Amino acid sequence: MKVLRLPKERLDLFASVLQQFGEVHAPVEQNGKYAFRALSRWSDARLDYPRTILPPKKYFVPPKDTLFQYKEGLGYVPADLAADRRIILFGLHSCDIYGLNILDQVFSGKYDDPYYQARRKNVAIIGVDCIPDEHCFCHSMRADFVDKGFDLFFQDLGDRYLVMVGTALGDDMVLATGSLFEPVTPEDLAEYKQRSSAKRKAFKLHVEIRDLPEIFELEYDSSLWKQVGDRCLSCGACSMVCPTCYCFDVADDVDLGARSGSRSRTWDSCLFSTHAMVAGGENFREGRASRVKFRYYHKQRGFVAEYGRPSCVGCGRCISACPVNIDISQVISQLRGIENATA
Amino acid sequence: MAKPTLGVFGLTGCAGDQLVILNCEDELLELTELVDIKDFLMASSGNDTSCQLDVALVDGAVLSQRDEDMLKRIRERSRLLVALGTCAVWGGVASLDRNQDRTRLLEDVYGEMGKKYDSLPARALHEVVNVDLSITGCPIEKDQLISAVASLLQGDPPLYPKYPVCTECRMREYNCLLIERGEICCGPLTVAGCQARCPGLNVPCVGCRGPADDANVESAMNMFGEKGIPREEIAAKLRTFAPAWGVNV
Repeated sequence: MKVLRLPKERLDLFASVLQQFGEVHAPVEQNGKYAFRALSRWSDARLDYPRTILPPKKYFVPPKDTLFQYKEGLGYVPADLAADRRIILFGLHSCDIYGLNILDQVFSGKYDDPYYQARRKNVAIIGVDCIPDEHCFCHSMRADFVDKGFDLFFQDLGDRYLVMVGTALGDDMVLATGSLFEPVTPEDLAEYKQRSSAKRKAFKLHVEIRDLPEIFELEYDSSLWKQVGDRCLSCGACSMVCPTCYCFDVADDVDLGARSGSRSRTWDSCLFSTHAMVAGGENFREGRASRVKFRYYHKQRGFVAEYGRPSCVGCGRCISACPVNIDISQVISQLRGIENATA
Repeated sequence: MAKPTLGVFGLTGCAGDQLVILNCEDELLELTELVDIKDFLMASSGNDTSCQLDVALVDGAVLSQRDEDMLKRIRERSRLLVALGTCAVWGGVASLDRNQDRTRLLEDVYGEMGKKYDSLPARALHEVVNVDLSITGCPIEKDQLISAVASLLQGDPPLYPKYPVCTECRMREYNCLLIERGEICCGPLTVAGCQARCPGLNVPCVGCRGPADDANVESAMNMFGEKGIPREEIAAKLRTFAPAWGVNV
């Protein structure tokens, strides 16, 4: 991997060069929280943010995605995926890049999803490193470092960045700046290693995932699921904000007179009472507890069996978005019989 | 083939849901091409008040013997009866006092003559007659009304979300007023469909659309309690629009 350095005072210049590669989106502040938005000016970008409300999955699997339309006289009109604008997504944390790599396995693995894939091609990814807060446990989920899934990755070294070039597109961005980027020095590498080790020690939240699928298997009938189910509001917030929750519901909208309409898919959640409902009104997971349990089992056990790792990346969004403070790290600790896993 | 016949009726309420129909200005002409509006007092003075109807849209709650008789008559005339708006679906604001002594309430407001008034504790339509479809909201959402008509013309029931407002709020990436500001936001309990309009304008959800499917009121009450908000205050807020939350205080 090509590795370079960029003095921080040159970041603005780099950002201005980036515009020729597409519309630059980055985290911006929104009443004390953060969201990825198109930038009207580079100074709005906040690269020192803890986490955005929604993960970058919104760019690839939008909350509501029109798959095709139909119109009288024209028949079916497919979504014009090629017309999507090119976007540079600046400022993703490792956990979110890892989340996208997981979505790749789902949408570009056994079953190709053209909508997802078209957007993946149109959106460039530039990562930045981060400092964990009280809800972060990405190191436990092995998602605190990524070696793929980005075009460029910026590691903060104080007054400069160590920049990892992940793809040919990333390299093109570097080359387009002329001599803005410099070769790394031995001091940069020493600083990087020192910061990397310090970051590992900065995590306050720890979740042990070794043998977790087995623990889940053993605790299938645990009374804990009822306790969590009694608290869960089935509000779906945790699923919406999860970088790897990808369930969707497909429905047709018919216009008045049925001469036109559209088919779209909308984010769904296994916590909804209708998620496992089938024709005839039968429901495989009628109780809230069974739905909560399903979400945990799919993330931490089912996904491991299918793809070799949990689909959770430890971003902490579900913890900060839950109105009744259901905390995945505590649920796992309780399941393991450990009272306080944050020590 | 003859066009399906439609009637629009108002029981006791503000008639806001009927007004939403008239406010569908871009769709009204198309609507009149597709259906034969036979009886709609708010829109026309020339109505056929006795013909059979394929669909009746009924706004408002049942608050008097007159309302009850009118609703039963509409039911007899109609193949499909649609409850329109929170009052028709859940009972609405007028059901706030439905567990109190009616005679005393009437006397408090109207004095001695109140005793003679035709006034009953508010009931939702389904508490009086069979209802085939419910479109909730205070007022109803225009897009849900149009999709109902469009779907019914195809012989299908419309698909509405059953999940809570929180889901739509998160989809739109709004700030969470409940978690971030500790406000009494009824989003986790209230059925979606409004695209979280109020939270999007920094106003907490007041629950005007009534309960979401499987709303966990008990847990929400505990959650508000932990924030120091008295149980009665939450219950009063929820009861403003619907008595059916299962709130026991």
